[in-house]
Amino acid sequence: MSDSANATTNATTGRTGSDEPDEPDESDAAGSPQIGAVAGKDDAVLRVDDLQKSFGGLTATDHATFEVERGTITGLIGPNGAGKSTLFNLISGFYDPDGGTVTVNGTDVTGMEPYEVAEHGLIRTFQTPRKLEGMTVREAMLVGPRNQPGESFLSLFTSPGTVADSESANLADAERILAEFEIDHLATQPATDISGGQMKLVELARAMLAEPEVLLLDEPVAGVNPTLAKKLKTQIRRLNEQGTTFVLIEHDMEFVMDLADPIIVLDQGSVLTEGTPEGVRSDDRVIEAYLGGGA
Amino acid sequence: MSALGDPRGALADLTRPEAWVLGVSVAFLLLLFVALLSGALGATYFLFLVGLAGMYALLSFGLNSQWGFTGLINFSVAAFFGVGAYGAALMTADSSPIAGGFNPIVGLIVGLSVAFVLAVLIGIPTLRLRADYLAIASLGLAEVVRLVVLNERWLTNGSAGLRGIPSFFAGWPVLSTFPQTMPGLRLEVIPGSPVFLEEPFWRASLNVLLVLAFAGATYLTLRRAHRSPWGRVLRTIRSDEDLARALGKNTYSFKMQSFVLGSLIMALAGVFYTHLNLYVGPGDLDPITTFYVWVAVILGGSGSNRGALFGGIVIVTIREGTRFLNDFAVPIDPAPLRLLLIGVLIVVVMRYRPQGILPPQRELIWPSAVDDSGTPDRPTSGVREQKHSDDRDGNGPNGGDDDE
Repeated sequence: MSDSANATTNATTGRTGSDEPDEPDESDAAGSPQIGAVAGKDDAVLRVDDLQKSFGGLTATDHATFEVERGTITGLIGPNGAGKSTLFNLISGFYDPDGGTVTVNGTDVTGMEPYEVAEHGLIRTFQTPRKLEGMTVREAMLVGPRNQPGESFLSLFTSPGTVADSESANLADAERILAEFEIDHLATQPATDISGGQMKLVELARAMLAEPEVLLLDEPVAGVNPTLAKKLKTQIRRLNEQGTTFVLIEHDMEFVMDLADPIIVLDQGSVLTEGTPEGVRSDDRVIEAYLGGGA
Repeated sequence: MSALGDPRGALADLTRPEAWVLGVSVAFLLLLFVALLSGALGATYFLFLVGLAGMYALLSFGLNSQWGFTGLINFSVAAFFGVGAYGAALMTADSSPIAGGFNPIVGLIVGLSVAFVLAVLIGIPTLRLRADYLAIASLGLAEVVRLVVLNERWLTNGSAGLRGIPSFFAGWPVLSTFPQTMPGLRLEVIPGSPVFLEEPFWRASLNVLLVLAFAGATYLTLRRAHRSPWGRVLRTIRSDEDLARALGKNTYSFKMQSFVLGSLIMALAGVFYTHLNLYVGPGDLDPITTFYVWVAVILGGSGSNRGALFGGIVIVTIREGTRFLNDFAVPIDPAPLRLLLIGVLIVVVMRYRPQGILPPQRELIWPSAVDDSGTPDRPTSGVREQKHSDDRDGNGPNGGDDDE
């Protein structure tokens, strides 16, 4: 535990220090709004500061601190039980932290409801694909866009023209994104009838309709066949090039090492280390965390 | 609209269950028609049954809005129905201990207002929690309302109920005197079986008109609301509330809207019942009403308004049809048989058709947006049932606008 705690501190302080990995190229950072003057990366879109969460006697998140720079694909890895999903739940508002703060785009979203966090531009997906019973794929897609005029009951009767225009635009966007993801042939299929891998693609596509600034992906390729996993990787990379920041939890090391930079390693609820894929791969503490003390 | 313009196309577009329901309904209507002409079924009583069916349809619409779309488990259908009924009766009935004599429109407003307040008060503490809590709270509410009505005599007349309730159209120009001004008619289509259409018939006709207006307006409102982004969010909440929250939807607010809307519709049914029956008593708030409405929604197909309509009609048919069993010298009491029949019906439906007889067929997308996109608005596979015809390529006619 003490090692972990030290490592957390190192990772936190190291963000501005010497062992920080090279900053990735911020080709799209210039047009992004500048966030508040908090020490750390210049253009952090997500800041997690000293986050804590316990369930009874179990500490799931132990003073976790890190930042995610705008325009990056950040990998969040760690052995089973390291607290990755708990961290996602804390960041996205599904759990209330016992301590610490979460900042999205300079706004403190700690303790906010998930929908409020989403309104600040942070969208998440879930480890198990959420299939919407009784909906077609394109209906499921259309749940994605935020603040649709037609989500107001009164607007349905007072301004149906606005609702119709918005719906047409959203439907066109949904069909375009489905085509970009090469799954437009599934549009009118029931969402419950498609495979888990296809559903992961639909989830990613739907999340893009919400126009997130930060997208948290919880094990995007878990249970997905290699062909679809490759397609997912291509799409994530493409969307990232278009400006979306990704944070992804993944157990498939090949996938995450190839896609993400930087990578944050969690162990026992704390940030063990953070760095480039190469740096993380060769870090003895990471190997020990994954393989146990005897390795 | 297109069903009227192209009835053959609309018929060809029917799914197997839709065609079956249509066939049975036509046969049933013919049977009723023959019974009416032969005098076996009184015309006024028939209109009363139509009113009752409309009332159950309204209750089913309300529950469908809550459970079918949003997944809210409400076991206090009878309570909201009773609040509407008593709200209207207390404002209008001669025997009302607190008010009475007001225009029925005032009763309507009071009934709906009390239901609104009650729904919000129940919703505030329970809708942030899991569905089970609303279920438990609504069970309690149903009993509380029933016991208040039964025991608070100063307010409700207790077990005596409220009598002297006027027709809904009392005080209205033309319509208030319509039954008296209409001439009595004697029809004799089948020799020896004359049918009399007199003042009670015309009064009952007005009730049918009223329930058609209530149910029609409710159906159209719900149809528009459900085939919209608002309806999609409700359906998403029903399937996976966490997903809706993660996508930026304030699920608490949506659930509250759905719960209040459904409760208001139930209260509307109560208001209508008051002016149909011209008497309300604590017995009208018995839990069996809630049970019947749940059966109607499950039978028709959760999430389907036309299914709710169908379920409501079936329930009234069974409920009232069993009254005539004694006419055939069946050596049993029909009341328990009624419940038995409904129980058997539910078991059969759950076994062979868990999605209900008329589950939703259309996508919850604003109709004009679908029309513009050039793609079909009714998928042809999976949970969407296949059509009668061989058109499986998804390019078939969009069909009528008469279902959801």
